[in-house]
Amino acid sequence: MDSKQLTARSHERSGIAWRLYIEMLVTRLFEEACVRWEHEGKMSAQVFPSRGQEAVAVGSCLAMEKGDTVIPSFRTRGAMMAMGISIAEQLREIMHSPLAAGDSRDAPHHSSWPDRGVMPGSTMIGGHLAMAAGLALAMQLDGQGAVSLAFFGDGTLGSGDLHETMHIAGSWSLPLILVCENNGWEMATPWQKVRKHRELVPYAEPFGFATRRVDGNDPWDVYHSARWARATALAGQPAFLDCITFRTGTYSSHFGETRPGIERELTEWERRDPLKRMAEWLIGSGVTSAAELERVRQEEEKRLVESFNQVLAEVKGN
Amino acid sequence: MPTISYRDAVGKAIQDSMRDDPRLMVIGQNIAGYTLKPLAEEFGESRIRDTSISESAMVGMAVGAAMKGWKALVMIAYADIASVGHKAIVQSAAKIHYLTRGRLQCPVVIRLPIARFRGHGPMGNEVAASWFYNVPNLNIAMPGSADEAYWNFREALQRPTPTLFFEDRSIHTRTSEISASNPGGKARLTRSGNRLTIIGAGRTAALAEDVADTLAKQRYRDAVEVVSLGFIKPLDKETILSSTKKTGRALIVQDEPPWGGYAPYIRCLLDELPSGTLAATPRIISGVDEFLPYWDERPFLPSLESMMSAAQEVMS
Repeated sequence: MDSKQLTARSHERSGIAWRLYIEMLVTRLFEEACVRWEHEGKMSAQVFPSRGQEAVAVGSCLAMEKGDTVIPSFRTRGAMMAMGISIAEQLREIMHSPLAAGDSRDAPHHSSWPDRGVMPGSTMIGGHLAMAAGLALAMQLDGQGAVSLAFFGDGTLGSGDLHETMHIAGSWSLPLILVCENNGWEMATPWQKVRKHRELVPYAEPFGFATRRVDGNDPWDVYHSARWARATALAGQPAFLDCITFRTGTYSSHFGETRPGIERELTEWERRDPLKRMAEWLIGSGVTSAAELERVRQEEEKRLVESFNQVLAEVKGN
Repeated sequence: MPTISYRDAVGKAIQDSMRDDPRLMVIGQNIAGYTLKPLAEEFGESRIRDTSISESAMVGMAVGAAMKGWKALVMIAYADIASVGHKAIVQSAAKIHYLTRGRLQCPVVIRLPIARFRGHGPMGNEVAASWFYNVPNLNIAMPGSADEAYWNFREALQRPTPTLFFEDRSIHTRTSEISASNPGGKARLTRSGNRLTIIGAGRTAALAEDVADTLAKQRYRDAVEVVSLGFIKPLDKETILSSTKKTGRALIVQDEPPWGGYAPYIRCLLDELPSGTLAATPRIISGVDEFLPYWDERPFLPSLESMMSAAQEVMS
């Protein structure tokens, strides 16, 4: 995190620093609320919380520009937030409101808003990366000056489509950005059991990607890396961001915790929690105070409940 | 109008489509410098794109490009390789229109040449169409003539959901005229008769014409009507039913085993007609339920002889 590079604009509420914080905050509060609402029987969606990994989705998407597209993975709720999809719009898909843009056809973590750059990545694992490359190809052919970004977990390294996609995208110099949420676990299987290297840079480099190892728990590192990736991809080399992170929440609201014996790691990664770090940065930079952040949290909690009630009324036909 | 071969009709369909739509691309292996060299010269290698042997990603990329409004033709070397792209065809291409409630379309054509009778063995002699028969929103074309090949291809690119285009190489040299307008997804009556309807697609539709012509020279003049399906999904039920009701008899011929595909489906359609509508029970001729050997596939598939004798039995 290099605060010297930041402009005064970053310190304002409309600036990147504030948005990095607020989109991560809303993502976390929303996912916690969804798990709670599900357990209370208020909704039936399985939720895949991104707790601890929010910076990867939020930081990457805030680095994108108008005309760029993003394909979320199933643990990147923050991507929808950062791309400007409101809580109510997301809840409409989850709860099957008659106003749901996609008619609740796709699983809620794959909901899409194509006209706003959030594309459907719903297919088998890895297949969405080829679709992202196809978007990039269209952008390249149209001379659009836009990039296509897709998220995936490190378990996707096992999918043939990842390799096929990197093989072609590297060769064709596509404006493609692949962002790995490298949390070291494939559900209940640690990375050591299924691959040689924790980091994915060694796998991506030979395909012709510009690669960067990113501290996935540092919102600034993710954001600046994604800005670099965007410029690189537009200049003619696809980019690969290997965001090292850790899931500090459950696998999903259905499966709960799937990783036995991770207490020590959890404690360590909680210390590096991206939301906490961003709060400390904002306070340390004099942008805000702990008391104000607490007030903001309460406001956002209140807005979540209002959105939920609004969509519930739509569902009930009120 | 001059006649044209089935093979050239496909080429002309691709060329005309490329000329009509500057945002149509072709991706495949060995195309720009080899199989589609003249098209690469006319349209450039940005639209005629050589790829690595990556069929799954090729189809996936076509879907992604379609999300930005492009149309794409994916050239798969032969139909068996649909197995490699199955995930991308079913889970990516076929579902996008549904998943987005039509906000995104997927006018992607996946060209799958049927390569049997060329010594490829069991990895290269499948038809593979019935593998996909239960996938909603997936159009399946299996043209039986040059005219059908041309217009099925042009039609496929107009559809909002993807099409598997099964081009039957065994009838590549057969010729016909190209009709002046696109008949859409309609089946064609390629022979007209009043005692039996033979329903087929691809090679079996072409064979059915030969059966009708051969029998006409014997004692079955104006007896055999042929329905060439073209699109085997969705099906032109109207033409199938009206022809069969007229002749009272149906022989449905499919170049694959009988467990799935258009033959058992059409047989079910005909079985639902009121009792007494037909003069005889409809009959299916299909391939055997076995893989096909390298040395000769013919004994295990519908043939002119097996169709001739079945036709005569049904009409007797």
